[in-house]
Amino acid sequence: MQKEMAYSFPDEVLKHVFSFIQSDKDRNAVSLVCKSWYEIERWCRRKVFIGNCYAVSPRMVIRRFPEVRSIELKGKPHFADFNLVPDGWGGYVLQWIAEMAGAYPWLGEIRLKRMVVTDESLELIAKSFKNFKVLVLFSCEGFSTDGLAAIAASCKNLRELDLRESEVDDLSGHWLAQFPETCTSLVSLNISCLGSDEVSFSALERLVDRCPNLRSLQLNRAVTLDKIANILRRAPQLVDFGTGNYAAELQPDVFSNLAGAFSSCKELKSLSGFWDVVPAYLPALYSICPRLTSLNLSYATIQSPDLIKLVSHCPRLQRLLFLIQVLDYVEDSGLEELASSCKDLQELRVFPSDPFGVEPNVSLTEQGLVAVSLGCPKLQSVLYFCRRMSNAALVTIAQNCPNLTRFRLCIIEPKTPDYLTLEPLDAGFGAIVEHCKDLRRLSLSGLLTDHVFEYIGTYGKKLEMLSVAFAGDSDLGLHHVLSGCESLRKLEIRDCPFGDKALLANAAKLETMRSLWMSSCAVSFGACKLLGQKMPKLNVEVIDETEPPDSRPESYPVDKLYIYRSVAGPRFDMPPFVWSMDEAVKILH
Amino acid sequence: MELQLGLALPPPPLIPIETFDLNSYGNYETREALGSNALSWPLLKLGPADNDINNIHHHNSSSSSSRGGGAGCKNRSFDEAPFFDEKRNVPKTLHLLLWTNQPNDEDDDPSNVLHENSSSAIFKNGGEGLVGWPPVKTWRKKVHHQIPNGGAENNRLLAVENGIGGRASKSTYVKVKMEGVPIARKIDLSVHHSFEGLTNTLMRMFGISDGNRKIFKLTYQDREGDWLLAEDVPWRYLFFFFLFLTLCLFR
Repeated sequence: MQKEMAYSFPDEVLKHVFSFIQSDKDRNAVSLVCKSWYEIERWCRRKVFIGNCYAVSPRMVIRRFPEVRSIELKGKPHFADFNLVPDGWGGYVLQWIAEMAGAYPWLGEIRLKRMVVTDESLELIAKSFKNFKVLVLFSCEGFSTDGLAAIAASCKNLRELDLRESEVDDLSGHWLAQFPETCTSLVSLNISCLGSDEVSFSALERLVDRCPNLRSLQLNRAVTLDKIANILRRAPQLVDFGTGNYAAELQPDVFSNLAGAFSSCKELKSLSGFWDVVPAYLPALYSICPRLTSLNLSYATIQSPDLIKLVSHCPRLQRLLFLIQVLDYVEDSGLEELASSCKDLQELRVFPSDPFGVEPNVSLTEQGLVAVSLGCPKLQSVLYFCRRMSNAALVTIAQNCPNLTRFRLCIIEPKTPDYLTLEPLDAGFGAIVEHCKDLRRLSLSGLLTDHVFEYIGTYGKKLEMLSVAFAGDSDLGLHHVLSGCESLRKLEIRDCPFGDKALLANAAKLETMRSLWMSSCAVSFGACKLLGQKMPKLNVEVIDETEPPDSRPESYPVDKLYIYRSVAGPRFDMPPFVWSMDEAVKILH
Repeated sequence: MELQLGLALPPPPLIPIETFDLNSYGNYETREALGSNALSWPLLKLGPADNDINNIHHHNSSSSSSRGGGAGCKNRSFDEAPFFDEKRNVPKTLHLLLWTNQPNDEDDDPSNVLHENSSSAIFKNGGEGLVGWPPVKTWRKKVHHQIPNGGAENNRLLAVENGIGGRASKSTYVKVKMEGVPIARKIDLSVHHSFEGLTNTLMRMFGISDGNRKIFKLTYQDREGDWLLAEDVPWRYLFFFFLFLTLCLFR
């Protein structure tokens, strides 16, 4: 009997109720209640998020959810951002597009991260989906302006085109002119990643002119400062703006024009861009500073005093990203100023201007972060590059900011100890996980022993993502994490002495996680094979660019290892330097 | 544009392989210190009773981690086919190795000589040559090179050649081939600031010991097909040249 008393609502009513349930977690829970709910739910799910494009096949998704309108896919592992994943590894989206083209004619939104997108894929999107609205290509590669031209020309109701941090092959600057005159629907356009010649400015101006709903616009570096005023005057309704090049010789008329244009943007809350910033032009922003909640100066080679001045005009700042300059100025003072004026700060990111510099830079230290932790009680998310740290500072930060959800600290020199005591930073990071009970993401650095992992395993119950480099002493460290962190989804490790023991002893844990990356560790080929054989729901992939892993003894460690759970079985698009440990796949060379 | 660096070298000397005992972890040396050929990499012996999963006791104190993951709470889109099969085979105690929970190394001593050795071994160039460290995205590295005060002329040239703005350093990756090794390696030129640094990284990559280093010379092939010494070229022009030419390492 399909419908019991408690469930005597008609399907339409349930469907209507389910339509209010948007979160994936809740949707998944709903689908597990009973068979009929599962059936109803799957027919009305409109949005699917796939955190690993190889965890499931397009066919499986289509079979289960026939009426999807929005899809989000992620491809390469996170460490691909730092060149640890060789080119050609995978993450191709074409097959997904091809299958969805037939199955989802009403697909309106595609969001991709770290995937390889070709012009062919883009042309297929343009051709196949009549109601296409949103294309977000975050950190993607493999396509050119030809593909963009196809999207621009065909997608009559395009609302969002966001290419942030992607690599685009520059073939022609005129793709923007492909947006038909009838296209007035753009709400968001991010072309900040494009190189010099890829944008026709007049086409851009005309586009901005005819899109009254444009709220978010990120220009690329080719757009010079004098042109910004023109754009802004055409789009005073902008909420989020990324300038292009913010450099020009100081000319009073250019300045006043710019200042006037900014002040006419009454809704502007978020700024980014500022390439090659000329500080003399920063005061043009002062009129909008009091409204700013987000400021991304991480491309701007801005010096501390200018930063201090600017930031002191922004009392409502919630999100600040900036680049620390290696100069004579004491950068900690800039952070102290920030701490005193931006009480609402929730997110802080400090990037190194000279990450490969050999000389130690003492102008930014742990003191800056401590000051911010003291002055900004709402701080939730930190990404901080520096060259020294102490346990005492970390403990202070942990106590000041118990609401931290993301804490990523990168002490630039690997294995740097506490600079005051020369001890490992175990206690400091231990305090972070202990006090910050909602911590979801953590990146470690500095000198660390197995003890820090013991703390993490004990306290990091909500931890979902952990990044580890040059840390630990033995398998015990990895064992603590795998056995203790109940919510762990993604674990990425490089250059740590973790071997087979912990991995094999916690093999089942791996099925509860999205993925595990280990490179330059001590996991043997034999252990990888064992995992591949015994765990059919895991894809165990060994990456080695120099020679096949089976040309060496089984006890030899593998170079790179990527393990992820999958219901789709081993993938078919592996390049020659990736070996699957699945028993069904023969290693051919 | 792709370039190729070729390395020619004498056959590597045979280094005896030492077996590694879990109880004497202090002998651990990182891969970086030994070079990627690492024939003396300590080999790890797997523990006892590791192949028969039925024999292994449940040691894992965290019960949630042993579930199959289909509950829907933790994961977003991971769906297993048989949802309503109560007898679904959930691997409760799937351990491929019994965790004995015995300390097997001197991890209590923070000033362990191990750290010192590894530190100095890996980082003698101040981190130069370490792929992916510090974890800064490639396009950010480009931004940093634009700094007028700190940036040397070569960096600006690099920026000019590769286009300003968002392009990542894919175009500064160089393929390095070594005579006798069939598969090429890749090296990112933009992280190196000197010819010395580049050579050091290459030597480490191919496991050429210090003694053999002097045998090799980095050369590039000009348009006429002649092989010229790379070290004769000022570093700042090397990028400029490399983008257009092929390179090879000769003995």
